[in-house]
Amino acid sequence: MIQPVRVPPDAPASTDDEMPADELSDAVLRQLLPRLRRFALRLTRDSVAADDLVQSTLERALTRWRGRRPQGDVRAWLFTILYRQFLDAQRRSRRYARLLSWFAGSDAAAPSAEREVIARSSLDVFERLPEAQRTLLWLVSVEGMSYKAVADVLDVPLGTVMSRLSRARSALRELHEGQAGEARLRILK
Amino acid sequence: MKERAIDDLTRNAYVDGQLDPSQLQALQAYLRAHPDEAQELEAWRRDAQRLREGAGGDDLPGNPALDPAAVRAGLRVRTRRRMAMAASLVVAVAIGGVTGWSARDTALASRVLPMQDAMQAYRLFASADAPQPDVLADAGDLQGWLDAYFAHAERLPNLSDSGFRPVGARLLATDQGPAALVIYENAGRRATFYIRPPGPGGQFLAQGSRRDGELVARYWSGRGYNYALVTAGDGRGQAAQVGES
Repeated sequence: MIQPVRVPPDAPASTDDEMPADELSDAVLRQLLPRLRRFALRLTRDSVAADDLVQSTLERALTRWRGRRPQGDVRAWLFTILYRQFLDAQRRSRRYARLLSWFAGSDAAAPSAEREVIARSSLDVFERLPEAQRTLLWLVSVEGMSYKAVADVLDVPLGTVMSRLSRARSALRELHEGQAGEARLRILK
Repeated sequence: MKERAIDDLTRNAYVDGQLDPSQLQALQAYLRAHPDEAQELEAWRRDAQRLREGAGGDDLPGNPALDPAAVRAGLRVRTRRRMAMAASLVVAVAIGGVTGWSARDTALASRVLPMQDAMQAYRLFASADAPQPDVLADAGDLQGWLDAYFAHAERLPNLSDSGFRPVGARLLATDQGPAALVIYENAGRRATFYIRPPGPGGQFLAQGSRRDGELVARYWSGRGYNYALVTAGDGRGQAAQVGES
């Protein structure tokens, strides 16, 4: 289990203050690597695509480090790069899928079943949420990012993060309740 | 969703344990009076906990390619490649085909002609809207300027018998090192002397000449560098004349 990092809402992310801000060291990156990989895996649902995404994130981070704002949350910055790259890739593949469907008339660009990661049962329900809600819940609940940092990653105002978070939690709750209902029906049968 | 007395920030901050003690106390008092909402927020909290418990379960096989040191190394290789590319582009936007020499002894030799870059350099710098030379002949000693970059190279050819005199020079880049172009003029006509290090294998050129469109190039090697003399050969005699000088 990943221990969430608890941060007061209005304070800067304290865990990242311990990291040297003047240098993006390999130690810092290695420490964050499992988190980046898990987040990428949740986004892409494909371990190969996830690692590709992490690699391009690291490359971009290492080449852009000097141009970065001197202070700030290193983890949030890396997650932002990763998420933007994911969205870009999504847009590209959607365009490609449209192109393919134009020729094939089918959903030819969908990921193949065998490469798709099989979510553990505890995440089954979570996996049924739309990507934007999954990302939001992951950053808040699993990564324990501050709401402000999440707003930066998603590039939306703080108020939007809060209302979306409520909606996402309600949606997750409904899915859990739906699952519980299914389970009861099976028992009765 | 029904209207609530507490906002989304407070509700979520409660679930995420981000309320300060006084806010927490106030909210707990509110929730005691509103058990429905208390139940909902507790459920949210359980869902978050369940998510955290499942979150670490993904199997992450080691991937050495993702180690920061490996990524850095990969970037360095790519940067070097890009710098070589950029160096050749300085020449190539301009001069093109820099790898000509390195490939001349390979199977590709038939497709890549010797001193292609010299020809392209001529085309660029002999044109009306040519880039400014780095050094002008009347501003200094061209030979001295050239010696600073190409120690022990052959002397600048003396083309005065053909009426050509040096007017300026420009430093260029190839992926084997600096190259230079010296521009000669004769009543509006131009000729260029091009000097560059040999290709990666240190190949030198046999003395020769060739024609490329309207241009004629004479090339040779000596004293550790390759050279080319290029001019517009609008008459064979004139080109030969320059070449022989």
